[in-house]
Amino acid sequence: MIISVKDGFKLIGVSVVFFCAAFVCTFMLSYYMDVVSLKDVVSDQFSALYDAQVAMSKFVSVLTGGVLVLIAVIMLVFYIKLYVDSHSKQLGVLKALGFSNAKLAAGFCAFGLSALVGCSLGFACGYSATPFIYESMTIEGMPEVAVTFHYELLLGIVVAPTALFAGIAYGFAYLKLKIPVMHLIKGKESKIRLSGREDKERDFLTEVFFKTLSSKKLLTFFFAFSAFCFSAMVQMGLSMGDLSSEIMGTVILVIGLVLAAVTAFMSVTSLVNANVKTVSLMKTFGYTARERFFSVLGGFIPFAFIGFGIGAAYQYGLLQLMVNVVFADVAEVPAYEFDMPVFFITLGVFVISYAALLALYSLKLSKISVKEVMLEN
Amino acid sequence: MLKCKDIIKSYNGHRVLNGVSLDISKGEFVVILGASGSGKSTLLSVLSGLERADGGAVECGGANLSELNDSQLTAFRRDKIGFIFQQYYLLSHLSVQNNVKMGADLVGNKDYVKIIEAVGLGDKLKSRPPQLSGGEQQRVCIARALAKNPEILFLDEPTGALDEKTGREVLDYIIKFKAERGITVIMVTHNENIAETAETVVRMNSGKIVETRKNAKPKTAYEIGW
Ligand SMILES: Nc1ncnc2c1ncn2[C@@H]1O[C@H](COP(=O)(O)OP(=O)(O)O)[C@@H](O)[C@H]1O
Ligand SMILES: [Mg+2]
Repeated sequence: MIISVKDGFKLIGVSVVFFCAAFVCTFMLSYYMDVVSLKDVVSDQFSALYDAQVAMSKFVSVLTGGVLVLIAVIMLVFYIKLYVDSHSKQLGVLKALGFSNAKLAAGFCAFGLSALVGCSLGFACGYSATPFIYESMTIEGMPEVAVTFHYELLLGIVVAPTALFAGIAYGFAYLKLKIPVMHLIKGKESKIRLSGREDKERDFLTEVFFKTLSSKKLLTFFFAFSAFCFSAMVQMGLSMGDLSSEIMGTVILVIGLVLAAVTAFMSVTSLVNANVKTVSLMKTFGYTARERFFSVLGGFIPFAFIGFGIGAAYQYGLLQLMVNVVFADVAEVPAYEFDMPVFFITLGVFVISYAALLALYSLKLSKISVKEVMLEN
Repeated sequence: MLKCKDIIKSYNGHRVLNGVSLDISKGEFVVILGASGSGKSTLLSVLSGLERADGGAVECGGANLSELNDSQLTAFRRDKIGFIFQQYYLLSHLSVQNNVKMGADLVGNKDYVKIIEAVGLGDKLKSRPPQLSGGEQQRVCIARALAKNPEILFLDEPTGALDEKTGREVLDYIIKFKAERGITVIMVTHNENIAETAETVVRMNSGKIVETRKNAKPKTAYEIGW
């Protein structure tokens, strides 16, 4: 079959996102369910604090879980699109040989594996982490929350997403496969529009710059998203320690770093891979390494900074919301203000790590030669 | 003009060029013949400064390529070299005009439209490569390479993907531009007939030159068999 188990496992990026979502949701929902069952035991004196804890756990799991699942869906669709585009010839030949769309699309269910792997690992780790999380959230004077295993969580966090994702992969692949056989075989190039906005007198480098940007719009989103995760979650993680528990803060920080790294690598890699031909030709003709780098990657860098800015504003809004709404009735919670030092530290680390990533890829770009493109044919 | 001596090049321990020496003078038309896998493309990329040889020396216009650093090599390619490939390698999302600009912009050539007209594609300026036939695409490649006013033109099986009629057309353009501009042309092919259009024929086998001969009277693209 055209999709192998191996291809399913290649979607490590998607798996990582699923892992993060499952991890957070497992212990937060588990905490929520366990703490809810204590309702009758809690004395009046603690009820406000108790309510806040319940609300907070619900808030965090819905928020992180929801956002992460959304991102995973986008990434999955993105991967399938990439996969169909790069295998369109093969798929077209199979279709010409008489394989039905349904049969070919069924192979794409293997993509659901990435959800299975990520969610099971996330669930297992999340469940193992619960005792520590519970301990860190214990409030003096309140009864201890006991860890219980909830089968419905296993169902909701592992089984349902896997089935859902296999379904999405199938449906999306089915839609993509509906293009006529010849278009598949000839590949993307056959459906290039005649009426491109090409008439502006631009020099070659500018033209490549804008064409790369406009042909990879989804990637601008991922560049921004990666920086968004980094900015929002690192800052939130650092400020969260005071508001909630150290462990919660650390978890958010680590998840933010992982998500940012995965999406950044994913987006830069697919950008570089999509432009191997352009870059190798430019090298053959004598364009400098700098010109090659900026015409292909340069347009995406501003989006990373936009994402960073939105992330900073987002985490500020979110923490304000948490302080003002969730903890509204609790007297001891400190007021939350925008943390300038944390912002600048985060920005500094971001700029440095981003520059390192780009330097790495610019080295990779500079090594690409036309020989590799020729050997592929 | 372009000289190489005892070139050695290996990939993963497998020797692809095993002591190749050549001496090409300015304005010469050289055809390199040889079976698939004999090292022709590798020789072209070493001669054009795309890849470095493991041993031996390449000298071009007084410069020793192995002594240049990466940015000097890039400058060397920008100033001296044109390249045409069997598989065209046009950028499919850019118009014909912008593909040619890729060569023209490098040297500030504003007259690139004239070159596109010279290869008979004056009415296709705004077309995209996938809308063109193979022969037309290869003519765009010729325009792209010439637009940067190269001193040496390297061609790797330029007619390999074309039928006889368009193949002859493309070859005819190459011979014509070579004569008009006095460019040095080094062309790889495995079509023995095409060799008759060249002044010098070099035959390669297993990474070595096994024969070098001169054609007293090179034929035109329409006089040879195909
Ligand atoms: N970049 C490379 N990496 C590994 N092997 C290569 C590379 N380039 C060429 N080769 C190998 O070197 C041999 C000669 O290749 P090439 O010069 O392309 O031959 P030709 O153009 O005469 O067909 C082939 O066996 C090819 O597989
Ligand atoms: Mg070759």
